[in-house]
Amino acid sequence: MNMVEKILARKSGQKSVAPGDVVLADIDLMCMHDLSANFVMKVFEHEMEGASIADPNKLAFAFDHNFAPATREAAEALAAVRRFAKKHKVKNVFDSGCGSLHHVIMEAGLVTPGMIVVGCDSHSPIYGAIGAFGTGIGNNSMAALGFTQNKGWFKVPETIKIHFHGTPMKSVMPRDISQYLVGKLGEDGAIYKALEYAGPYIESLEVNDRALFPLQAIDVGGKCGFVNPDEKTVRYVQRLFASKPSVPEFEMLANDADCRYAEIVDIDVSRIEPQVACPPTVGNVKPIDAAVGTPINVAEAGGSTGGRLSDIRALARCLANRRIHPDVRLQVVPASRDIYLAALKEGLFETLHMAGANIFPPSAGSNQAFNMGALAEDEVMISTQARNFPGRNGHPKARHFLASPLTVAASALTGKITDPRTLEVQ
Amino acid sequence: MSTNWVFQGRCWKFGDNIPTDALAPTHVMFKTPQEMAASVLETVNPEFPKKVRPGDILVAGRNFGCSSGRALATKALAATKIGAVVAEQFSRTFYRNCLEIGLPLMEARGVHALVNDGDEVRVDIKAATLENLTTGKSIQGTPPSPFLLKMLEAGGLIPLLKSGKFAAGDFAGAARR
Repeated sequence: MNMVEKILARKSGQKSVAPGDVVLADIDLMCMHDLSANFVMKVFEHEMEGASIADPNKLAFAFDHNFAPATREAAEALAAVRRFAKKHKVKNVFDSGCGSLHHVIMEAGLVTPGMIVVGCDSHSPIYGAIGAFGTGIGNNSMAALGFTQNKGWFKVPETIKIHFHGTPMKSVMPRDISQYLVGKLGEDGAIYKALEYAGPYIESLEVNDRALFPLQAIDVGGKCGFVNPDEKTVRYVQRLFASKPSVPEFEMLANDADCRYAEIVDIDVSRIEPQVACPPTVGNVKPIDAAVGTPINVAEAGGSTGGRLSDIRALARCLANRRIHPDVRLQVVPASRDIYLAALKEGLFETLHMAGANIFPPSAGSNQAFNMGALAEDEVMISTQARNFPGRNGHPKARHFLASPLTVAASALTGKITDPRTLEVQ
Repeated sequence: MSTNWVFQGRCWKFGDNIPTDALAPTHVMFKTPQEMAASVLETVNPEFPKKVRPGDILVAGRNFGCSSGRALATKALAATKIGAVVAEQFSRTFYRNCLEIGLPLMEARGVHALVNDGDEVRVDIKAATLENLTTGKSIQGTPPSPFLLKMLEAGGLIPLLKSGKFAAGDFAGAARR
C-alpha cells in the first residue's frame, strides 16, 4: 500500500484497502472557511434536525474570504457562523484577518502526519504535504456524516507518481514547477486519482514549498496529493509545536516498497522555464514567452497558492529600491498573521510599500473577488492565486494569468507580463 | 422524479472544463435556490437559465464542474429541475456532490459528439445508456457502483442516512468491484 491507502485502511479499521474500494473512515479534522462553514452549518441546522456535533474539537473555521465583511449579507453570514461555533462549543475559530484557511490550519498545529483532514473546498489536499490525507468533500457529507459521526465516505483512489529530478534554472520557483505539471498532465489528467510527488527535487524542498504541489492536485482533477513524510516533515511538525509544552504523538505512514501506480511520470525540472496559466482555465499553462508583453492592471501576491513568507521575500528581492509601473496596482496579501508579523519584522513591507505596493490584511485576497480584487471589463490581473476562470474576478471578459511570485513582481515593475529571468534580482 | 431511472428530455450541450464558478457564481451564493437557478451557467450560455425546462438533460464535455469544490454548484443546477446531467467526465467534487443531493448523473465517453443542442435524448441511469432520439444514435456509459446508486436512489446522502439503510456492508470488501 502507499501512504494514502495506509491512512484510509487504518482509519477505516481494516488491514488493507485497494483502489476502487469505498470506505467509511474516521476523520481527524474538518476545516472550513467562512463561506463553506456557513453553507455546512445551514445544511446541519435545516436538514439534520435534532443531530448533535460528535466532537467540536475536530472542527475548525477560518474566515478567509472576508478580512472585513463589505456587505450586510457577508456580515450576517459571518455572524451566523460565530453564533453556531459558540452554541456548539467549536473552539478552533480563526476570525477575519487570520489569513488563508489551510495555511492558518497548518500553522496552528491542528494537523499532524497520518491524519484524515477534510474541507469543503478544493484545496484541502494541501495536508498531503505533511504526510496526512486531505481532500475536499461536499456540504452534505460534512454536515451529515462529518459533524455527527466524525466520519466520511471515500473511494480509494489509484495513484500517479510524479518523479521530479534536476535543479531549476535561476528565477524558476516551485510554483513554476507545480504549474508546469498541471499543463503537462492536463486539467482532467488525474481525475479521481491520488498524486504522489517524489524524487530528489521534491526531497530538496521544505514543507512550505512542497505544499504547492498537493494544493494544485485539483487543477489536474486529483482527489489528493502527497509527499512521503521524511525528516523534513518531522522538523516542520516539531517547529510548529516549538512554543508548546510537547509535540503530540503522530505516526508517519509511508509507502511500502512494492506499492503500485496507475502511471509514473518523470520530470526534469532543469528544463522548465517560468510558467504562466493563461485565461480562461488553470490548465492553459504555457512557457512565459507565450504571455510576455501583455499589459496588466493588477498584480497580486496572495491566495491559497500564494502569500507565503517565501513569496513575499521573493517580491521584496525583486522590487527593492525600485518602483512599480504607474498603471499597475500591486496587492500583497499574507497567508497568515504569523507571516504578516515575520514580513513586518524583516522589513519586507517597508520595501514593498516604497515600491508602490499595497499591503492587505491576511486573507484569501482576491480569490473570487469576495474581499477585494474585482476586475472591470477587459482588465488584466497576474497573480499567485489558484484560479483564473472567467467571471471569478469580476467581469467575465477580464483576464487573469497565474504565475510565480517573481513573475508577478517582474510584471508589476514593467506594467506588462515579464520573464523574471530578464531582471536583476537581489 | 422518474422511478425507473430513465429520463427523457431536450438536450442542452456544454463544452469542456466548465467550472463551478459558472454554475454558482459568487454573487448568488447567499441567494435562494430559485435565485441561483436564474444565474446558473449564464456566462456560458445566457439562454440556459432563461429557457431550461424541468426534465431537460444537460450534456457536457470533459471535466464538468471543475474549479472550486463548492457544493452549491450542484444545488444551483438541481434548482432548475433539470432531469439528469451527462458528461464525458465530471470533476470528482462535482460528481460526489451530485450523488449526495440525489441529482442523477452519468459519465459516457464519446457522448459530447453524439448530441446537439435541442436534440431529444433519453438517459437510463441504471443501464448507463444515452439514446439520441433525434438522430437514433446511442452510447454506453459507465454505470454507478452499487453504493453510489443506492445513495442516488435514496435521493442523496442525507435521505439515505435517515432511511437507516446506510450500512457497514456498503463499505470496503463488500463494495469492492
